[in-house]
Amino acid sequence: MHIRSAMLFAVALSFPGAAVAQMSRAALVKQSDIIFIGTVTQVGAVAVPEVPPSDRTVVVRVDQVLEKPAPVALTAGDSVTVETARAGSLKAGIQATFYTTGWIFGRGVAVREVGHEPGQSPVVAADAREAVARARALVNDADLKAHIQRAAMVVAGRVEQVRPAELAAAPTRPRRITEHDPDWQEAIIQVEDGIKGAQAGERVVVRFPGSPDVAWVGAPKFAVGEEGTFLLHKDSTTGSPRTMIAGRSVPAYTALHKVDVLSKQDATRVRALIKKP
Amino acid sequence: MRARVITVGVALCVACKGSEREVPKPPAKLAGVRVVDLIPVSLSGESWQDAEPFLALYASNPRLMAASAFTPNPGGSASATAPIFVSDDGGDSWTLRNTLPSQTMTADITHAVGGNPPALYAGIMKVPDFPLNELKANDLFSPATMILQGFRADIDQPFVRTSAVGNADRVYIGLNDFDAPDGRTATVDVSLDGGATYTSRRIETRNTAGQNGPSIRPAVAQDHTVYVAYFGWRSNAGADVTSDVVVVRDDIGATGATPFRDLVDPSDHLPGRLVATHVTIPWSNSPTLGQERIGSTLSIAVDALHSDNVYLAWADRVGTGDIYTVHVRRSTDRGATWSSDLRTLTNATDASLAVSTTGTVGLLYQQVTGPAGASRWVTGLEQSRDGFATHQDVVLATVPATTPPFQFLPYIGDYNGLLTRGNQFLGIFSANNTPDSANFPHGVVYQRRVDFPTHRLLDGSGAPVAVSIDPFFFSVPVLP
Repeated sequence: MHIRSAMLFAVALSFPGAAVAQMSRAALVKQSDIIFIGTVTQVGAVAVPEVPPSDRTVVVRVDQVLEKPAPVALTAGDSVTVETARAGSLKAGIQATFYTTGWIFGRGVAVREVGHEPGQSPVVAADAREAVARARALVNDADLKAHIQRAAMVVAGRVEQVRPAELAAAPTRPRRITEHDPDWQEAIIQVEDGIKGAQAGERVVVRFPGSPDVAWVGAPKFAVGEEGTFLLHKDSTTGSPRTMIAGRSVPAYTALHKVDVLSKQDATRVRALIKKP
Repeated sequence: MRARVITVGVALCVACKGSEREVPKPPAKLAGVRVVDLIPVSLSGESWQDAEPFLALYASNPRLMAASAFTPNPGGSASATAPIFVSDDGGDSWTLRNTLPSQTMTADITHAVGGNPPALYAGIMKVPDFPLNELKANDLFSPATMILQGFRADIDQPFVRTSAVGNADRVYIGLNDFDAPDGRTATVDVSLDGGATYTSRRIETRNTAGQNGPSIRPAVAQDHTVYVAYFGWRSNAGADVTSDVVVVRDDIGATGATPFRDLVDPSDHLPGRLVATHVTIPWSNSPTLGQERIGSTLSIAVDALHSDNVYLAWADRVGTGDIYTVHVRRSTDRGATWSSDLRTLTNATDASLAVSTTGTVGLLYQQVTGPAGASRWVTGLEQSRDGFATHQDVVLATVPATTPPFQFLPYIGDYNGLLTRGNQFLGIFSANNTPDSANFPHGVVYQRRVDFPTHRLLDGSGAPVAVSIDPFFFSVPVLP
């Protein structure tokens, strides 16, 4: 990871031109969950007792937080311990935009550097915020495009029925009783807009875990009347790839990732991404 | 009531003298009780349901501990690792470190510490796809991901215990192995070489209803006696399972060719003592008891210095208006014979037992009390030196059972954790995290930002944070 981070860091510094810089910034953003503008205050030091100081640790005063997960308590003025990608890459007094991942959360925050952008000095916060936001949008679009490409079918539509899934029994496997049982359900979706692999008016069957168990907490659940744009994948999870609808055997689909279920309005964005080279 | 109760946490003295009503005395507090919310200050914005906590202690360093819960990597759903909590000051403060090889969170986790040098062993159900991962960390403070030692699919509820023999750690991971033959799924993965190799030992010898219950719980004494408790599911009718409660024993640390055969039931001469037979266990994977699911509460603890003495707790439905009742029994002859119920707790779950070096048994439990609209989860620790004829009770937390609404199940956990070291019981439970002193009769310490006067959680900027479920570490002095 650190070799990769160092390469990205090098890429970030070495390519001229706004477009290329934006691409390398997107690569940094993609790997980062905590991004901030900060000033290096100490080298070879730490701000929290949980991390041993080394030639790769620096203390950075946070000047402005650009991105962070909601649970993380990090505000301007905090001192963050950063494990740098390369020893000696940062000197005291340097201000930069830091692209990082969370490492240790205790009395303070310790992060691992993915890369940093020295930028102009001082860094103009508004410019950095806008640049990171643009890069995040690029990353999100690229992720969504990859999901679309992997999907067998993309539709905008409405859930007209939810029913328990009747899975073809595996002959040699008795039913298991476990708290992690997915309790497969089937949502029947009336397609209003066939964006990929389907046509308006079709009805498709999507399997989803109805279980409230922790193992399935991130998987989308469907409810009658729900409208949305759905990225559907052929069912390779339940072991029973087909189902019945109106007396016909049809393929069953799944939508197990949170990106697989978008708002109805996202159909326009999805179409645009499909057309985008 | 057959037991005389010495209530420390909840006793109120109310008496009338003529027309003057005596003011109720506040609950007596037991000195030395600590309760600490594990969420660190740097995660003050956290509002996740941190359920199903577990705890591991380092014998070599009393200040070092590891803990876990269904706590996600703060980095979000794309994270390739899941976190574990670490304390290096005896539980007063905790940090979160992302060293588990599971995407964001685990689907089950327990852990225990070996001997010398001390290594942490963990059994997890990995996200995604939920295979068993048997893991080891030689250095709890290393940023490296824990080392994968064994893995396979189709298991449930890995439960880790360890012992040390010379320089080799023995690791016992109870688990429900759905690939075991003949529906006899109760299994212990045994390693005699510090996790380098594991052998799956089947411990059920009777016919089942297609499988055993999820909970397979080992307990190890210093003389290397290993007990394992499990549910022998015999039939399954709708939401109720008819089960035996079974204990097996191995006198030489499961080092032989046919381990766990040293305790035979007199009724059928098969290995596995039937402590209770044909109990009714409600299997419910929906909110049933204070927003919690129920169906597999089981704990066993052996007196580490006197392996003849062993305690067992499980929960079932008695059928007289209870939802779920915890039972505690004891054997003083290595599991050959068992007492009747020494203690019962109605509408309770998450029973965890431990036996101190002085022979005092501790019982951690979580019980729903009060009317439906105002019900509370009461987390208590009972201690007894006389088989629960008398017991000292400490209420660690009493919190609303109806809030916050569940995000997933388990709400507070299918299990929690109780251990003992020296003159302390040390444990962990999950509960509503409202910073209200009335909810924690023996006090509570928060690391995360809170405002006690307004009973509010605060994020890093001082904005309010929604109430959620947090893990709480505790220590309680063993009865003198």
